[in-house]
Amino acid sequence: MNRFNHLPTLKIDTTQKISFIHKRKKIYGVKGDTIATALFSNGIRIFGRSLKYHRPRGLYSLDGESSNTLMEVDGIPNVRCENTLLKEGMVIKEQNVKGSAENDILGFLDKLDWMMPAGFYYTVMHKPAKLWPIAMKQIRKAAGLGEISPEFKMPGKFDEIFLNTDVCVIGGGPAGMMAAVSAAKKGLRVILMESRPWLGGCFEFRSKEHQNRLSLHERAAQLSKEVESLKNIRVFTHASVVGTYNNNLVTGFQIGKEKDAFDERYIELRAKSVVVATGCTERPLIFDNNERPGVMQAGCALRLAKTYGQLPGKKAVFSIGHDFGLETALELHDLGLSIACIADIRDDGQDPALLKKIADKNILLLKGWVAVKAHGRKVVKQVSLSTIDGSVTRKFSCDLLVASAGMTPVTGPITVAQGKLKYDNHTGFFLPDAMPEKMHAAGRIIGLDDPLSIEASGKLAGLKAAFDCENGSIQEIGQAKKDLENLPGPVRGTKLVTAPVKGRKSFICFDEDATLKNIKQAIAKGFDVPELIKRFTATGLGPGQGGIPGHNLPLYVAKYQALPDISIKPTNVRPPLVPTLISTYAGAGHQMLKITPMDEMQRKDGGVFRNIGVWQRARYFSNDFSCKNEIENVRTNVGMLDGSTLGKFRIFGPDAVKALQRVYVSDMSKVKEGRIKYSAMCTDDGCVIDDGVVVKQGENDFYFTTSTARAGQTAEWIRYHTRYDGWNFAIVNLTDAMGVINISGPNARKVLQKVLDIDLSNEAFGFSEYKEFKIQDTVPVKAMRLGFMGELSYELHVPSSYMKSVWLMIKEAGREFNIQNFGVEAQNVLRMEKCHIILGSESEQRTNLLDVGLGFLWDRNKPEAKTVGAVALRQAEKDQTRLKLVGFKMENNTRAPRDGSLIVDTKVRGYVCTARDSFSLKEAVGMALVEAPLSKIGTRLEIFEDECGNNRIYGMVTQMPFYDPDGKRMKM
Amino acid sequence: MFFKRKPMWGKKKKLKSSYDVVIIGGGLHSLATAYFLAKDHGITDVAVLEKNYIGFGGAGRNTAIVRANQRTQYNVPLYKEALDLWPILTKDLDYNLMFNNCGNLNLMHSEAAMTAARMTIATAQFHGVESHLIDAKQAKEMVPALNISEDITFPIHGAMFHPPGGVVRHDAVVWGLARGAAKRGVEIHQETEALGIGIQNGKVTSVTTSRGTINCKQVLISAGGYSASLIHGMLGIKLPISVLTIQAMVTQPVKPLLNHVVSSGAYHAYANQTLKGEIATGAHMDPWPNYTTLTTAHYIKHQAEALSEFLPCLRGLRFMRIWGGLADMTPDMAPIMDGNNQIEGFFMDCGWGYFGFKSCSAVGKYMSEFMAKNECPDILKPFALKRYEEHRLMGETAVVVNYTPDN
Amino acid sequence: MALIITCPVCGKRNGYEFKFGGEEKGPRPDETDLTPKAWCDYVHMNHCVAGVQKEWWCHKDGCGSWFTIYRDTTTNLERQVQKADHQEAEK
Repeated sequence: MNRFNHLPTLKIDTTQKISFIHKRKKIYGVKGDTIATALFSNGIRIFGRSLKYHRPRGLYSLDGESSNTLMEVDGIPNVRCENTLLKEGMVIKEQNVKGSAENDILGFLDKLDWMMPAGFYYTVMHKPAKLWPIAMKQIRKAAGLGEISPEFKMPGKFDEIFLNTDVCVIGGGPAGMMAAVSAAKKGLRVILMESRPWLGGCFEFRSKEHQNRLSLHERAAQLSKEVESLKNIRVFTHASVVGTYNNNLVTGFQIGKEKDAFDERYIELRAKSVVVATGCTERPLIFDNNERPGVMQAGCALRLAKTYGQLPGKKAVFSIGHDFGLETALELHDLGLSIACIADIRDDGQDPALLKKIADKNILLLKGWVAVKAHGRKVVKQVSLSTIDGSVTRKFSCDLLVASAGMTPVTGPITVAQGKLKYDNHTGFFLPDAMPEKMHAAGRIIGLDDPLSIEASGKLAGLKAAFDCENGSIQEIGQAKKDLENLPGPVRGTKLVTAPVKGRKSFICFDEDATLKNIKQAIAKGFDVPELIKRFTATGLGPGQGGIPGHNLPLYVAKYQALPDISIKPTNVRPPLVPTLISTYAGAGHQMLKITPMDEMQRKDGGVFRNIGVWQRARYFSNDFSCKNEIENVRTNVGMLDGSTLGKFRIFGPDAVKALQRVYVSDMSKVKEGRIKYSAMCTDDGCVIDDGVVVKQGENDFYFTTSTARAGQTAEWIRYHTRYDGWNFAIVNLTDAMGVINISGPNARKVLQKVLDIDLSNEAFGFSEYKEFKIQDTVPVKAMRLGFMGELSYELHVPSSYMKSVWLMIKEAGREFNIQNFGVEAQNVLRMEKCHIILGSESEQRTNLLDVGLGFLWDRNKPEAKTVGAVALRQAEKDQTRLKLVGFKMENNTRAPRDGSLIVDTKVRGYVCTARDSFSLKEAVGMALVEAPLSKIGTRLEIFEDECGNNRIYGMVTQMPFYDPDGKRMKM
Repeated sequence: MFFKRKPMWGKKKKLKSSYDVVIIGGGLHSLATAYFLAKDHGITDVAVLEKNYIGFGGAGRNTAIVRANQRTQYNVPLYKEALDLWPILTKDLDYNLMFNNCGNLNLMHSEAAMTAARMTIATAQFHGVESHLIDAKQAKEMVPALNISEDITFPIHGAMFHPPGGVVRHDAVVWGLARGAAKRGVEIHQETEALGIGIQNGKVTSVTTSRGTINCKQVLISAGGYSASLIHGMLGIKLPISVLTIQAMVTQPVKPLLNHVVSSGAYHAYANQTLKGEIATGAHMDPWPNYTTLTTAHYIKHQAEALSEFLPCLRGLRFMRIWGGLADMTPDMAPIMDGNNQIEGFFMDCGWGYFGFKSCSAVGKYMSEFMAKNECPDILKPFALKRYEEHRLMGETAVVVNYTPDN
Repeated sequence: MALIITCPVCGKRNGYEFKFGGEEKGPRPDETDLTPKAWCDYVHMNHCVAGVQKEWWCHKDGCGSWFTIYRDTTTNLERQVQKADHQEAEK
């Protein structure tokens, strides 16, 4: 097709050809084309087939509101071809076709619509019951537009940007640009978001006069120049707003230009005030075959010519309801389109100047007429027009039917931010009624049509937004309001929703193939509000959501039920306002896990890492996940473990003890210098949530540890439970500032003595004692003698920056003893043999302190401390039905049950927390939570493992701990 | 073309001056209870009061996943029965509830999670519910779209596969139950707000509504997320409930891609493909109580990030709709079903969080029995309100539900 | 919905920096003679107000303070509460 190349409004460069593949054939578009306009220029009218009836579908609006022109592009389904720029080498595929879009074998389904009334799937296919699974398979195959392979890898670069601004203007048309300029001139930072690749909105492609012989498109150019000249306006073009939220959070995404470092990027911005100037789309006219290829909206027809340089057809019929339709007809007529007839829904009210021009050009104009049917099996060949009452009909041959009932304001950004709409009888619009806080509407969205009024409303909104940012004056706003009032107000809109048709083939929703008939069927079944009709008929639930049915649905429902006033509200519009790629929302994608200072060194030593909570930790040091060597090395020699993930805190101040008393179950006033106090924290339910040690490092100054999992919450926990008391203490989270090295095993002392010059003998530094010292007069160390693993053990708390050095020193010193790393799993077994619990393993949400046998930590003689959990513990103390932690050995020396196995009789009586075939004990042992009556020593436990069928294994409750019951080894 | 109006759940009627039973809330639990009261117990003088339209709340907003792989022995039998009821209800209601018995795959991302799953699976198997632990490779065979590589934030270790679960068409259940109840004489009053409950001598006597007062002997409040506020407002009974907004979303529809419900605790996400072809996904709740049902920018982005990792092909699809509903959460993630406690004739069924849909059929069956016989069926006994006072949390979650520091 | 909360130390911040801390219920009750019912009432029971409530928040990803605000649970917007309303909200 020859393109126009002389129009000032063109956005294409006809000298630069772009090749692409469509149906395995190489064809050409030009630079600036969208995929849709390039296909159209190649004579392609049918882009795909509809969901249910496989009806042919084609170009309709150029803004991609419906599924008509969704196609697969480079393997990505559902690409909106109407607003995706053509790129060299793109491979385009038709969707939902069996055969081709032109000749779809499933096209016959269109004749079977009588079999598929609204909601038919609820009433058939379940009888007999066996039918349903078979039917379901077919339904699944038939459903869905587009296809994606499970192996699909999304190409392209995705980014994200988070912004703060004073004013955000949504919509880069005349109103939006005026708003941006007037706010920017106040010195405010403005962000202007425009979904098309250029500014200008409804002015940008029109030749109509603005004023003083300036055309609208020239005016658009003037305004965008002014916008670009203001440095405090940041313009995002090709950037759709997809969400608006209270407190003026706005989200959207931008499509990258050729030179941008991203293909698409997610935008999230916070503004002090928002202006919504999103204008209007055209309200689809509903008649028979109203979506046949060759039927398109006025803006689509005009922009095809003026932006993309191609005539939308050869011979046209217009069925419109607004002056913009007349204007379009005239412009296209002047560009060479032959016009058979213009049917204007309105009897009167047209702009006399337009009427005169139409008469001058001898174009047939029928007032009070409307299209009732488009003829032509695949594309439009003829159109039947009739009077509004349907009494007189005429038929015209044509290949283009420009159909547009009226305008629909794009109110999505207002309603998703919880603004309310109200039906306005003059414009026929649902107009913004209650705006969200600090959000203002301007331009065509509030019903304006006159160019000067549109601009004036933009200016007013910009000033209001500036005022929200504490800039400007009421007087100024008052003046701008007056200026607007002196200009033409909203124009009267057409009320017509549908042509006089029965509606069997009149589509209210293209995406879901929902017809007027379907709506009537739903209403008859008692679904009488739009929101329910939407659910029952799926109207507006397809890929383009409410884009096509939009305000037509509530208007039609009101009309059909002959409601006296249109109190019916439009259905809810929900984000995203434009379907948005998951990859775009995901943005750059970051992994958010913490590593310890020893991460790299442990990896070098062969550590097998796992994500444990927010951390990456070395779980094993070989591929033997039973960790035999690691365990035996600790039991017989010496091993070292990176314990840096432990929560570490300092709490100090005159009331520090009171705070500790509140959250720890023990009497924390008894923490002695140089001694370690082991204790636990509970919830108010008495359920144990944390255990750890507390040491005193000075007057009213304590250092304490928590479990890894609790590190993030402990400071806020303590502050929470003391929030009414006004106590004077400070708490510092040292978890990341300090690292922990644990050296365990009978040779631990020998290794450590080589590094330290203090006396490490049992007499000088005994079990459960705490010391502070410096290594080589430099590295401050807090050392504790603990016995979590049941062996002689030292825990060194070292500033993170020194961790590597200290680790290396110990490793070096341990070389002659063949010191080895051990990981989290070895630790898990070692401590289990000792029956030292890990919260979360040997406890669950409902397990209290007494249940796990830690009752000895609880000091009940401090009620004045109001210890968290104490009341519940006291009340639950006598409850004999709770689960209790027990140790068990396996009968007949069978293997250990899998963790998580159940303890049962006729009912579930408990479960296995941790059980292992112990290398140290040469038998299988474990711990389980069982109902109290089963907790007596010697009780036989019936163990039910997953997949065990009827087989059970048996254990017996036994004394804890299993290993070194007298604790001699850790005290040696 | 004009269709004869035959509303599925009866024409609009005047409120009578008295009913045997009044049910407040027009969601699934209410409709199911009304249906079973009429069907199993012959109690048909029942009014269901709904402030908006039936299915307005959680019933129409959930993503319709059903399963019986709960953690404790108190819950599993109830949910098992609920699962078993879908085909029966489809037949009895003569309405296609579209039960898609596709099975659920719950991904595990650590050894600890595998252990936790094993306990849940053993519990299921012990109660005769099919559920298996499978490794990552087997999971990948079932769901080819899964990313089982090590290079994601939470690598997949395996999964709990629960074949009897799947997806039911939630709207169909609402309409089917409403039709079934109405056919048996239950009156469904939409746009009718309950304003108060009249009590005399510790007994329920009446319900005040926006359309007048009606006398009754029994009242059930099962109004989903609004229950706790109503119960406190009308009767002064406080409940251990926090009402949060939970969000879900769908992508544009595509041809069959996912044949199972896939969920992940670590990623806080689930995904399944609806019969219409959309990938339905969700799970997140902002951890502060609210009744907004509003969606957040934060969450749709989070969901995209999560899906990008474990179902990376979805990166090529587009989200087209996100919505929110209410979840009334209890500290132990188990519901509260109680009756004749403090006030004779007053029943409550709430605290379901986001499990209300899965359970509605069985709850209807047993709450109706509770109300008809004035005696709590054994299966409901563990769910009494008193458990919180007795420090006996249900154990339905292995770890603490973390939305206030005190839970 | 985009929650913004005013921290008394740091000012208006993104709601995700904060942790919700429950309805305002007053200081911890005395332990002596606390009945299980009274205990449960304090620890677990909520008013579940659909409207303005006084509640606790912690600026966890900030200064770490605990403080109370009034928030409308039907809109998620903070509310400045005057003294008269104050008592109303506290009921």
